[in-house]
Amino acid sequence: MKVFIDPPNSLILYDLVERFGHEPLGAMASIQERIDNIELDLPPMNVTLDDVVKGLKYAGVEVPSGIRGRLALWGPLIDQADAALIMLDPPFNFGCVGCERSNEMVRYLIRRRGIPALSVAYPGNEAEAKVSVGRIKEFLEGLK
Amino acid sequence: MSDERETRLFMISPVSNVTPDQLVRAIHAMGKGVKVKETCYGCLAEGLVADVKEVTGEIRGRYPYDVFSKRRAYPAGDPRRCRAEHGTRPGYAQLEAEWESLPLIACGLESCDRGETHEIPPEPEKLSVEDFKKITEAAR
Repeated sequence: MKVFIDPPNSLILYDLVERFGHEPLGAMASIQERIDNIELDLPPMNVTLDDVVKGLKYAGVEVPSGIRGRLALWGPLIDQADAALIMLDPPFNFGCVGCERSNEMVRYLIRRRGIPALSVAYPGNEAEAKVSVGRIKEFLEGLK
Repeated sequence: MSDERETRLFMISPVSNVTPDQLVRAIHAMGKGVKVKETCYGCLAEGLVADVKEVTGEIRGRYPYDVFSKRRAYPAGDPRRCRAEHGTRPGYAQLEAEWESLPLIACGLESCDRGETHEIPPEPEKLSVEDFKKITEAAR
């Protein structure tokens, strides 16, 4: 099954989804498609004007273009996902995945689609890690 | 989707005794014909999708708790991202933060493999409007 991961470029979630036998849907494949198929020499390298227009399907015109640009990449992935795995409040939620409004919108789109989704807290110690990984394993093994 | 090329990022856990050199040699020794680039955190492997998947499976089998991997969008050594070419590295803050957490994830995986069960903590209840009113009025 195709499992959307949030944050969409997370190494940990990508690895865990693959490890437990599913296909992770992360931002990397979408970005690679743009890198391989479009000549991009200057920044912004990942998002074009067309992407921002495509993002209108997922967010209104009054929404900042940065959010629409992100959703142009992530929205189609959510559309084709069979399930979703969300890690809440990771400490690395800054930089290119640090837009909280985009993240809220992603979680809303996942809920609106009604696909099975698991939200787990980011582990801060070993006990929490055992619970989080255990829940992820149980969720992914239960998907059929 | 781009199905011909896959670039895979292999990251070694900070508590592991595996070195990037060992990892690169292990991938070369598989003889799958993938291009490998040694990095400070592990290595990048690039090749046809099927070959890279085989390499990933073998590495995961050999180092289940030491090496974690994900797909990478840019090719290995791409001048827009390569440090030697003064490329920008926007995702590295996140990669570093995740690298620090890998021992915790490995600990969780080991626990699952031992068959340990864990109680799921109850979700915190939402604050009721009445309680919220009491809190705000108490501060007056």
